[in-house]
Amino acid sequence: MPQRATETFFNSASRYRTLVENSCDIIFSLDFEGRFAYVSPAWKSLLGHELSEVVGHNFREFVDPEDIPRCEEVFMTVIRTNAMQEMTYRVQHADGSWRQHTSRVNRHRDENGEKTIFGTSHDVTERLFFEELISRTEKMTMISGMAAGMAHEINNPLGAILQNAQNIERRVSTSIPANVQAAAEVGVSLDLIHAYMQKRGIFDFINHIRTAGIKASEIITNMLQFSRRSDADSENVDLSTFLDKVLELAGSDYDMKKKYGFQKIELQRLYSAALPEVHLSVSGMEQVLLNILKNAAQALAATETPIITVRTRGVKGMAVIEIEDNGPGMDEKTRQRIFEPFFTKKEIGAGTGLGLSVAHQIVTKGHHGIISVRSRPGEGCCFTIKLPMQGRG
Amino acid sequence: MTDSALSVLLVDDNDMIRECITAYLEDEGFTVYAFTTAEEALELIDTINPVVCISDMRLPGMYGEEFILRASALSPLTGYLLHTGMLYTLSDELRAIGMTDSDVFLKPLYDLSKLSKKIYQIAAVRGEL
Repeated sequence: MPQRATETFFNSASRYRTLVENSCDIIFSLDFEGRFAYVSPAWKSLLGHELSEVVGHNFREFVDPEDIPRCEEVFMTVIRTNAMQEMTYRVQHADGSWRQHTSRVNRHRDENGEKTIFGTSHDVTERLFFEELISRTEKMTMISGMAAGMAHEINNPLGAILQNAQNIERRVSTSIPANVQAAAEVGVSLDLIHAYMQKRGIFDFINHIRTAGIKASEIITNMLQFSRRSDADSENVDLSTFLDKVLELAGSDYDMKKKYGFQKIELQRLYSAALPEVHLSVSGMEQVLLNILKNAAQALAATETPIITVRTRGVKGMAVIEIEDNGPGMDEKTRQRIFEPFFTKKEIGAGTGLGLSVAHQIVTKGHHGIISVRSRPGEGCCFTIKLPMQGRG
Repeated sequence: MTDSALSVLLVDDNDMIRECITAYLEDEGFTVYAFTTAEEALELIDTINPVVCISDMRLPGMYGEEFILRASALSPLTGYLLHTGMLYTLSDELRAIGMTDSDVFLKPLYDLSKLSKKIYQIAAVRGEL
């Protein structure tokens, strides 16, 4: 019974047409050359083109060149095997941006013996973005928990190093009666011990222990604060102080040091002294700036005298932060796509391609700001962030 | 140890920290009573009647905060200091017994003279100097 009912339902061509035309996924048919014979109206809402700009055109005109070989393989398999195939690939929107689509395609032979490829396409861009974001957030949460625990554990031994260095110094001081008494008991002169230690630079060594210990402790305090902050921590900050802190954080980042040689890069700070405080999410903006700095450091890997310039100024109610490098720059195509999720020029494993897209989200959605990038091959690269000075209201 | 020496009670489960703070404060002329747990310290605090009590936060049994609250009931004239590795904001209960932010010392403490200065300050207020 149910099968007969289904058959009756599909006897009507107008029902078919209505179904296809109202689908929010794209329904399409291709000839064996790969040209669109039909696309449903959903194409226009998902990808922006007029249907007349699509019908008669080859699918290869819309798909990311990097994905064409995979698409062709699927295409040929479908023609050969008559088995349903599924794949996800990147397709260009009329506005130039890239979307991720998952398509299911199959070969079809109609009543007149005419063969076509039928398919449906579903936009999965957002889903993939959030899936990746969630897995990354989970990882980050775990790492910051571990970092906080580690930092706490390190504070005790660090305290012992610092305080024992201080104790050593004090135990040879003549101003403490117990020292004088103990020296007398073993028959040495405290003054001579002191003079000897001075002559052999021992006090300098002790001082070095303390300086190094203090440095280590500052790094840990920074780390601890970074990992403990939540996203909801908006506050008024002085941009110059904030940027100095971020640069310090970048300098102590292991990856930045080991992989990208951050300490070899000359940092130029050109801060405007006249800027009022800016209301921002400290952890969010730290993430944004660290991402840009990491990208800059990576780009500078082969530059002879690498320089990163950090500038601030105020323009029409906006606080402007510029981070410029003198690296190899990038071509226009890369520049346009740099904030797209999953866009990466790095080798597999070197980056997820999410860093700058998340930065984009934080600046635009989180701060009502603007982030942009200016670059040309051979002319370095400059990221500009504009934040409203009265904050997010 | 003379009768005139000011006594300080110290609770920290980390041996190195306990030993080096004890050494420093003894060099300063204080009599130091050091304990690894809050429970041990609580048994003797009213007998010792220290001018200052310094406690770690994370201790094996009772935590520093509860320890200070109980200790202050037993020895109310003692000044209480927290020496902690956590980013810590003083609780309302601890503020209620008179503690302020300046009574919290974050680990690692670079310079122990900050601690001894604080002890002298509290002793001066108590009229013991």
